[in-house]
Amino acid sequence: MTFLEVRDLTVAYGAIQAVRGVTFTVEQGQIVSLIGSNGAGKTTTLRTISGLLRPVSGEVLLNGKPIHQLPAHEILGLGVAHSPEGRRLFARMTVEENLRLGAYTRTDEAGIREDIDRVYDLFPVLGERRRNKAGLFSGGEQQMLAIGRALMSRPKLLMLDEPSMGLSPIMTQKIFSTVRELQSEGTTVLLVEQNALAALALSDHAYVIDLGRTTLSGTGHELLADHRVQEAYLGEGVAS
Amino acid sequence: MLSTLLSQIVNGLVLGSLIGLIALGYTMVYGIIQLINFAHGEVFMVGAYGALAMFTYLLPTFIQQQWYFALPLLLIAGAVVSVGVAVAMERFAYRPLRNAPKLAPLITSLGVSIALQEVIRVFYPGATAAIPFPNIFIPGTWTISVGDGVVPIKYSGILLVVVALVLAYALNMFVERSRMGRAMRATSQDRDVARLMGINPDRVIVLTFALGALLAGIGGVLYGGFYTNINIDIGFQNGIFAFTAAVLGGIGNIRGAVVGGLAIGLIKSLAGQYMPGGSAYDYVWIFVVLIVVLVFRPQGFFGETERVRA
Amino acid sequence: MTTIEKAPSQALAEPPRGRLAALAPYTSVLRIVGGVLTLVGAFLPWATFVLNDGPYPEGATLEFFSEPFGVSGFRLHLVLLGLASIVVALVPVAAKGRIVRGFGWGVIAISIVNGLYITVEGGGFGAITASDGTAAFGAFVALVGGVVLVVGATAGGIDPPTHWDLKLGRVVEWLILLVAYAIVLLLVAAVLTSGGQGGAANPFSGAVFLSFLGAVGGAIAGLHASGLLGWIARMSERHRIYSVIVLLLAALALPLTSAGTEYWMTVAANIGVYAATAIGLNIVVGLAGLLDLGYVAFLGIGAFVAANLSGAAASVVGIELPFPLVLVIAAVVAGCFGAVVGSPTLRVRGDYLAIVTLAFGEIFVRSAQNNIGGLTGGSNSIPNIPPVELFGKGFNESVTIGALNLPSGVLYYVLIVLIVAAVMWVFGNLKNSRLGRAWIAIREDEDAARAMGIRTGPIKILAFLIGAMLAGFAGAFFAHKLGTASYESFRFLESVTLLAAVILGGMGTIPGAVLGASVLFVLPEKLREFADYRLLLFGLALVLIMRFRPQGLVPDAHRRAELAPESEAPPDHPDDGPAGGTTVKAAAT
Repeated sequence: MTFLEVRDLTVAYGAIQAVRGVTFTVEQGQIVSLIGSNGAGKTTTLRTISGLLRPVSGEVLLNGKPIHQLPAHEILGLGVAHSPEGRRLFARMTVEENLRLGAYTRTDEAGIREDIDRVYDLFPVLGERRRNKAGLFSGGEQQMLAIGRALMSRPKLLMLDEPSMGLSPIMTQKIFSTVRELQSEGTTVLLVEQNALAALALSDHAYVIDLGRTTLSGTGHELLADHRVQEAYLGEGVAS
Repeated sequence: MLSTLLSQIVNGLVLGSLIGLIALGYTMVYGIIQLINFAHGEVFMVGAYGALAMFTYLLPTFIQQQWYFALPLLLIAGAVVSVGVAVAMERFAYRPLRNAPKLAPLITSLGVSIALQEVIRVFYPGATAAIPFPNIFIPGTWTISVGDGVVPIKYSGILLVVVALVLAYALNMFVERSRMGRAMRATSQDRDVARLMGINPDRVIVLTFALGALLAGIGGVLYGGFYTNINIDIGFQNGIFAFTAAVLGGIGNIRGAVVGGLAIGLIKSLAGQYMPGGSAYDYVWIFVVLIVVLVFRPQGFFGETERVRA
Repeated sequence: MTTIEKAPSQALAEPPRGRLAALAPYTSVLRIVGGVLTLVGAFLPWATFVLNDGPYPEGATLEFFSEPFGVSGFRLHLVLLGLASIVVALVPVAAKGRIVRGFGWGVIAISIVNGLYITVEGGGFGAITASDGTAAFGAFVALVGGVVLVVGATAGGIDPPTHWDLKLGRVVEWLILLVAYAIVLLLVAAVLTSGGQGGAANPFSGAVFLSFLGAVGGAIAGLHASGLLGWIARMSERHRIYSVIVLLLAALALPLTSAGTEYWMTVAANIGVYAATAIGLNIVVGLAGLLDLGYVAFLGIGAFVAANLSGAAASVVGIELPFPLVLVIAAVVAGCFGAVVGSPTLRVRGDYLAIVTLAFGEIFVRSAQNNIGGLTGGSNSIPNIPPVELFGKGFNESVTIGALNLPSGVLYYVLIVLIVAAVMWVFGNLKNSRLGRAWIAIREDEDAARAMGIRTGPIKILAFLIGAMLAGFAGAFFAHKLGTASYESFRFLESVTLLAAVILGGMGTIPGAVLGASVLFVLPEKLREFADYRLLLFGLALVLIMRFRPQGLVPDAHRRAELAPESEAPPDHPDDGPAGGTTVKAAAT
């Protein structure tokens, strides 16, 4: 059965339709990317999957069951974690408190402790500064914390919105290698990225979203080779 | 005279603790949904009446006469009535307006405030005038001789101060340390992301109202015990003081609310004693302080600038 | 590799019919049956005995048998609504369903009001069901008729009100408007006087009034659906100046109608005072979007200034100035205070500003209560303020012009109508001026307004200043009309009432504040039976208005979007972040 299926999704902010006909599927264990330009509707799609927005029409199916009418806090309980765009950490709380909020729905104290340590292993800098307020961190450290926080619910599906935004190249690489590591541990990842090149190189499958619609799909390498994708999203970075 | 000054300070601290207790409710609700809940003062008032009703109509005489039986029962009654009212008003008046423009819930809270006051006035027997409140603690006064005079301290005043400080401390621990407290702080900082963490904001908000009401209801009973009678205006009046205290301390800040409450209590009693115009104008000085604080330091004593809503 | 081509999904609007869809084929029948039931209900007896307080009005008791077809009062209204429903059901007109639905709600309102009153006053169901073997099912039959009408109307689908494009010659349109406003005048007079003055002598006045209100409401809803009202409204929009003049004349002609008694002149003058003040508040809240919770203080300042300059014995100033000058001084003084109260807007916004204004209001009341500087009389108030005089004629006296004898209070009424008209004129001009647009811009988004070069600080203070001046103006009138000025009239609750008037009427609209003030002051006058519950109902009404109609009775076109509940908050961030060109290259290596 398809793990996550988004079918003909339409989402509107008041009278403005931000998404009008997005369709894609994510299979268990894959890394799938949604790429597209500014305002194409990628973030809106993720916000709808995680329940922050209600679709006007269309469906979101998780393991074949519709979830698009559920409230956000119940969708998390089904194993979908969403690390929102711009990180959105709880800036006035410590690293540890942020992580504990990620594990809010869990009650197994020992397991939570273990997972916190696992995040510290993954990102040692967080462990060193666990008592510091999250708002004081650099962009890259904040991104690590945001990913760590999303992992704390032990998600089956991890949705990352623009994890590379505003990060240095080295930090971006670090984040993406972490994503691959998570995949190897069995987590399914849905990635929204502007950094199309890095995202496609990483992805098992990818979709192009343009003006609120899915227009192209294929494996990461297929899309990397497609001239329309190259012209529109990769720019001279690969043309040279 | 030193004894006068000390007496006024004692009065100020008692009133201040009470105001701080009410202010906690304002500050938490504002912190989480940015609503000045004008009806919170009425929640305090309703708690006092609820406890009085239980005392008058339900308690047998032998319990009425023993304060150590009556006091806990009254506190529970006050808290239950206040929490019930607060939860109902959140559910039916404020929740439907969650996504409405800010003016709507503010005016709704004014409406709820008026309606609650009137419900008591119209339906509580004898509520058109002040009603004597039973003595629910060791009656009497502890007097300290200071130089040329005495400083009287009522035992019920000591009870009020102690209970207020203990409750404020407990609340602070709850918000800082517990899982639900963390959820409250998360919801107040970023409601959408809190939802992504699996937090149900509706539950957190209702809990916030309930906690504030719990403190207010207890405050209502202690108020009655100290001031020996209650009337339907105590909610609005002390509510405004408490809101002022919350702003003074930095809205959204628990320690700030308590410190602000004590400051307001002291301002009222000292200004009433020493400022021109006397006690007729004590009220005015509180509002003058409020305006000055809002204009020149809107984040209050403890508020962080980033938290201030421009 | 696939290319996905897909047409955008279009949601088709289904005509909303819902659960009543099954009844759709029988709509006409249902409407006729409803109308007939209404007629039958009107001709049945409504009460089984004469109530303790005397016969229920319009012969609804068994006595009606002595004059079976002499229907009057609410039974006449039922007959008219019932007949109209049947006619509409049979004749081909547009928006039938909506028209009949309006009539149906009117019928329901009438039957519920009268049925309840008879039950309550008569001491139980026996009053309308059976007593001594006689049944009086009028209320039930009419209620069923009303429900059948509404169901029948809704089942057929509700079309939008018809839009008439008919345009006539200027003279004809003027005549139509003249007639229309004359009807409005008579209707207002009829609503005001229906049921007469409540009290021990007239125990059913509240019922008669509410029932009449239901009938008028139903009829207006039907007329609105037919498109007639919209047509006349557009016509008056075409002849704006003419309409304003006729409307003003109609307002001035109220003393000539059945409402021309001393009592109603007094009530109307009070409404006028609050309407003028509410318009001032509408500038601050409705246009500039600055919430003021202590606004009534400016009315109070105007009143106390006028009281002190009136030559009243209790005034410390002890000089007497002519009334027009007093009006100006009161307005100027209140305006100065308005600027002071408004000055924190330079630093304080939103909720905090509301609290600052509330604090100023409280300071005013406390100071007035304590007779600050001897200017306010404290708890004794300033009594015996002489009435306004002009050409030696006191405004509190009655007027005789030829054979026409007008009650006392008429002159005050005329004066306040002129004041309200002037205030409305000021408001209307301000709203459409450069300043008004600046206020609206500040209301919508203060930072954006500043970025566009609007000097927000002075302009916000100006809103307070002008609003306060209008209130001070009204306050001076208030003091003379009332004869006393007491701090009791200027408490927090009055500020909330004014705010409620603005919101109920519709924020930012010209007729809104007047309409809101009228409703909030007429209802308590007419429903004195409920005087004890007045504030309770007021508080609940505030909650319900905010929940179900936050835009008010006359919504402002601009404002509508703002106060409509949003389905979802827009995203805090633009959809996607800026592209990182360098990141792309680096990650590729």
